[in-house]
Amino acid sequence: MAKASSRRSIVALRGLTIASLKMYFRNRTALFFSLFFPVMFIVVFGFIFKNSNATFKVDVTNQAQSALATQFTEALGKIDVLKVKTVATDQASTDLNKGDTDLTLTIPAGFGTSGPQGVAAAPIIAHYNAARPGNGQAAAQIVSQLANNLNNAITKAPQIVTVAATGVKTKNLSYIDFLLPGMVGLSIMQLGIFSVAFGFISYKTTGMLRRLQATPVHPGNFLAAQGSTRLIMTVVQTIILVAIGMLMFNFHLSPVSWPAFLVLALLGSVVFMAFGFAIAGWAKDENQAAPVAQVIQFPMMFLSGTFFPRDSFPPLLERLTGFLPLTYLADGLRHVANDGASLWAVRGDVLGLVVWGIVSAVIAVRLFRWE
Amino acid sequence: MSHILEVTDLRKTYADGFEAVKGISFGVKKGEVFGILGPNGAGKTTTLEMIEGLRPITAGKATIDGLDVAKNPYAVKERVGIQLQSSAFFPNLKLVELLQLFNDLYAETSDPMELLREVELEEKANAQAKELSGGQRQRFSIATTLVNKPICIFLDEPTTGLDPQARRNLWDLIAAIKQRGTTVILTTHYMEEAQVLCDRIAIMDEGKIIALDTPDNLIQQLLGRGFKPHTKVQAATLEDVFIDLTGKELRD
Repeated sequence: MAKASSRRSIVALRGLTIASLKMYFRNRTALFFSLFFPVMFIVVFGFIFKNSNATFKVDVTNQAQSALATQFTEALGKIDVLKVKTVATDQASTDLNKGDTDLTLTIPAGFGTSGPQGVAAAPIIAHYNAARPGNGQAAAQIVSQLANNLNNAITKAPQIVTVAATGVKTKNLSYIDFLLPGMVGLSIMQLGIFSVAFGFISYKTTGMLRRLQATPVHPGNFLAAQGSTRLIMTVVQTIILVAIGMLMFNFHLSPVSWPAFLVLALLGSVVFMAFGFAIAGWAKDENQAAPVAQVIQFPMMFLSGTFFPRDSFPPLLERLTGFLPLTYLADGLRHVANDGASLWAVRGDVLGLVVWGIVSAVIAVRLFRWE
Repeated sequence: MSHILEVTDLRKTYADGFEAVKGISFGVKKGEVFGILGPNGAGKTTTLEMIEGLRPITAGKATIDGLDVAKNPYAVKERVGIQLQSSAFFPNLKLVELLQLFNDLYAETSDPMELLREVELEEKANAQAKELSGGQRQRFSIATTLVNKPICIFLDEPTTGLDPQARRNLWDLIAAIKQRGTTVILTTHYMEEAQVLCDRIAIMDEGKIIALDTPDNLIQQLLGRGFKPHTKVQAATLEDVFIDLTGKELRD
């Protein structure tokens, strides 16, 4: 007699998922490589930027004699993340060229001197090394924030220095806080695209899929089992990477942000698995799948702001790369970790991922071939 | 004896226009071992796959246990066991785990160790499929078809590529399965195998069945047509010599 189909599906799905997990964890090489690159990137970059990024070096050349100029340089000196050195003009440009400083500030002669209309506007000139824009831009931002606070203070209240100092000390983030969410995104992309596509194609080419079709279980159950295995792996991988970041490099992820972080990771995993199934369903063998998987993965690795911020791109490229699925995932994860954003706060990224998920799922269904 | 499998004017035409099966009809009786013989490309595997519900039927009909295969593929697969020509199994799983997985796929509760005992692979319970020899693989493959206690099993070239010992060992296994009342439908290239195992055989060529009867009747019919063998028939074959010299024990 025919057994109730729902019970069969549950038993089959459970059996297939357990089997998939066993296969996954016993395949040591695959397991190693799915974690190796993200962990390596985190450890290598984490160590490179561990110290240098905690502080920015600023050379200050003070050409003004006013009290305001003195107050400004004193305020700079009180900011923990800035290492301020007062130097002559020549020295500042040499330091910058040699990479010994992240930012040079020149306070012009007229700065802070009172004229008939009050305090005259004289811009502080800032230079940073274009070859290492990350640090210079960050330092410049801190300084301009200080300047803004000073401006506010001048028009509103005489308490200049204190306001400025508290204004810039709100965050103590370092490069690891930028890097790690990107690496989590990268590992999710690899797991989704590579591991799904190649795993599935091998089941297809060796005839295992056909053997499954000879049983009364619909092969869709097998896809579901593959998917749930990858979702479990996504959670495990994400926890491992975040743990390494937290223990070794002081990565920040507040306990209340964990759920949102994992939900985003799982959503990203679904999106990239749809990519993987689209490739696996379309390709006849590994040789067909490999170039397609590379063409999809490789550019995203560098264009989605996983290693360095996209704001150093030309405006058009920055705009276009904003639509990449890995950008949505990495940005979303970063906001959740760095700013403690809720899922609602990153709804733009969530929406972007959902749209990509739907599009790639439709493509996967269209391209899918069992043989 | 009633027919467990009934095939009526079965046809397969592929997308490129190739007619692999050109309208064949036959019935398989309950409990018999039925062989489909024929040269490569005769349409044996295509025929099996259509009956098994693995390949769409272009025209005609196949019923197993009264169920139309095209209309009830899942219900049919619940009742039969299918061994494919190339047997691949999931990597990194032990034989017991693979059999447990097949249990789950059929929502069955057969004892994996009992199944392994039936095919003489108990001591390989914790080995992986890739560690098995050719004969062991085929025996394990047959074990996976028995998980759901099928009324009928399909074996596609089960002994191809095996050495004489392993082949004869598999014959014993197939005979034991028949003893339990399970119908066996198999394809083979080996005439001796068909003669030993099969109650009836169908000979296929170019998509058609050109003969269907018991092996003895087919031989009598041939002799009746005045056939004279090319060589003097000997009371034993070279394979008998080989087995006699090397012993009957399995070498895998």
